Amino acid sequence: MSLRLRIMIVDDERIVRESFRHWFAKTGHAVATAASGTEALDQLENEAYDLLFVDIKMPGMSGLELLDRVRADFPDTTVVIITAYGSIESAVRAMKAGASDYLLKPFQPEQLNLVMEKIDQQRRLASQYHYLKGALEQITRFDDIIGRSAPMQRIFALIPEVAASDAAVLLTGETGTGKELVAKAIHAKSRRAHFPFVPINCGAMPESLLESELFGHQKGAFTGAQQARKGFLEVAEGGTLFLDEVGEISTRMQVDLLRVLEDRKVVRLGSRQAVTVDFRLVSATSRDLGRQMAEGRFREDFYYRINVIQIEIPPLRQRKEDIPLLVAHFMEKLGHRTTKQVDRVSEKALALLASYDWPGNVRELENAVERAVVLARSRTLGRADFAFLQAGAPFPAGDATLQQMEAAHIAAVLSRCDGNVSQAARVLGINRVTLHKKINRLGLRAAPAEKTPDHDAEKEARHWRGGGPGR
Amino acid sequence: MTLKKRPAIGVEVAPVGESTLLAAKTIAAHVEGFLGLPSALLPGLPPPEFALDPGRLQYDAGRLIEGYEAWDPGACGKRVCVLAVDLFVPIFSHVLGEARLGGKVALVSLNRLGPAVDGRIARADQILLRAVKVAFHELGHLFALTHCADPGCLMHFAGDARGLDGIPMRFCRYCGRFLTEAARPGPQAVPDGRV
Repeated sequence: MSLRLRIMIVDDERIVRESFRHWFAKTGHAVATAASGTEALDQLENEAYDLLFVDIKMPGMSGLELLDRVRADFPDTTVVIITAYGSIESAVRAMKAGASDYLLKPFQPEQLNLVMEKIDQQRRLASQYHYLKGALEQITRFDDIIGRSAPMQRIFALIPEVAASDAAVLLTGETGTGKELVAKAIHAKSRRAHFPFVPINCGAMPESLLESELFGHQKGAFTGAQQARKGFLEVAEGGTLFLDEVGEISTRMQVDLLRVLEDRKVVRLGSRQAVTVDFRLVSATSRDLGRQMAEGRFREDFYYRINVIQIEIPPLRQRKEDIPLLVAHFMEKLGHRTTKQVDRVSEKALALLASYDWPGNVRELENAVERAVVLARSRTLGRADFAFLQAGAPFPAGDATLQQMEAAHIAAVLSRCDGNVSQAARVLGINRVTLHKKINRLGLRAAPAEKTPDHDAEKEARHWRGGGPGR
Repeated sequence: MTLKKRPAIGVEVAPVGESTLLAAKTIAAHVEGFLGLPSALLPGLPPPEFALDPGRLQYDAGRLIEGYEAWDPGACGKRVCVLAVDLFVPIFSHVLGEARLGGKVALVSLNRLGPAVDGRIARADQILLRAVKVAFHELGHLFALTHCADPGCLMHFAGDARGLDGIPMRFCRYCGRFLTEAARPGPQAVPDGRV
């Protein structure tokens, strides 16, 4: 079965365009037409085409000039040159410039069929190549961790070395930098890869629940414990336990965990029988554990037990050279999930992204790209598609209180997320319930925003303004 | 409300010029016998001179379709015009037949069906079979069928007589099913008490 292609016919003669259009309609391909090279380039900016049939002689931009532009700016598009005034020179020049074929009008119907068969085969091979290249990249780039900056390259080099041992690893870095991805990569490269990877967000649950989740419980251990349940420490048997936001664990639980790490034995709540466990511990925190230790909120012995090897993940603002790579990756990822064909970013948009501070790091960048792609009107993301990044509320200047700073920051993030509390909570690195509480406590309220000229109703956002705390 | 079976779409076969009468009759017989669709001969279509291209000394298939579509548009569903002249569309050197996807009029040219591919003159029955194959292919386009990748299907593209000879006289199961459904639309709801 042949691939269904998106084809554009570029010819200044209407009768030729119509003739091609009728023919390709009968072959099941989708066809568009353009009367000039400029018109063709405009259409290519907005929509991806697999194949272009380009006439050499056209007023304005010639077919060969158009071929050069397409090869430079849209390398995935195949070009076939057609002409009624063929010469060996122009044929050689077209083929050298990267045309897939060269046809003399009028051609035998069978000729066009052969050209289409050849292009079909080329595109199948190209698609297989892209698939295999992607699969290879998946292996070499540790799944979703992307970066060619020096700090990320150091981390890539470190991961296999760290993975080879069973030593406890502490990942530090701001929220959204990809600590869990690094933890997964360490697990995937380790001898434990075929056993479970069990992630727990210690900051997302109250202490009593966390204790029960980690250690498990016997039937009747507490009200509501209707049946015995294994804890995550047991579930991770043979694999890797990932404790996210380890700085949120209470000092009492740190003692219990320290004992587990030293004895390699777990006692379920309500039981006296110890169960031997074997897991590798990877922890992560966005907090300054040294400071917490100095304040007595984090136990020194536990700290040294979980911090045999420390890996610091740099924030996105310190590796801005990775932004184009990350944007391309997120667009490719989104391309599989949405039907929209958005596969390019303008230089100006990239410059805007590079000038932004990214407090929510890679996670915030991914959300920004997703939002821009969803609302995009063409296949190229421009500066206007990321205008929402500049729309944050101004920060209070001078000697503002901590609460005012918190209110301003939450309001700015909410505005950027169009008032989507779940999304804002992810950017802020707190859970949704906590964010709702903060919104109420700080008296933040939503007000309708002004419409931007280029993206009216779809981009209607809500601006969040502080109404004063204590409401 | 009751369901009444819709009648199958009929096909008019129009010979253009006396020399095409036998081919037109053969096509009409095959439309009834092979496709099971009602068919009728439609004489009197104007000669194709209005579509002659003096530069190429060939006949413009696009202009012919437009001309024959406008000629006496009766109640009949589809029309196959059989011509003896050589047809072209602007991008191709020639075409054996032409039809627009979902259109009303198809053209069949006998001009290039005669010469035998091995140097001998083709037999009359061979030429008529080729004409029927072209007519069915173009009729398929009129019923919105696109080209088929199966080389054993009449909707597979053939650019010359040799290609036509390689295609058996049948539609593949997908194209056959599609054609049957397109030519025989589903039952029509009729209010009770009315026929």
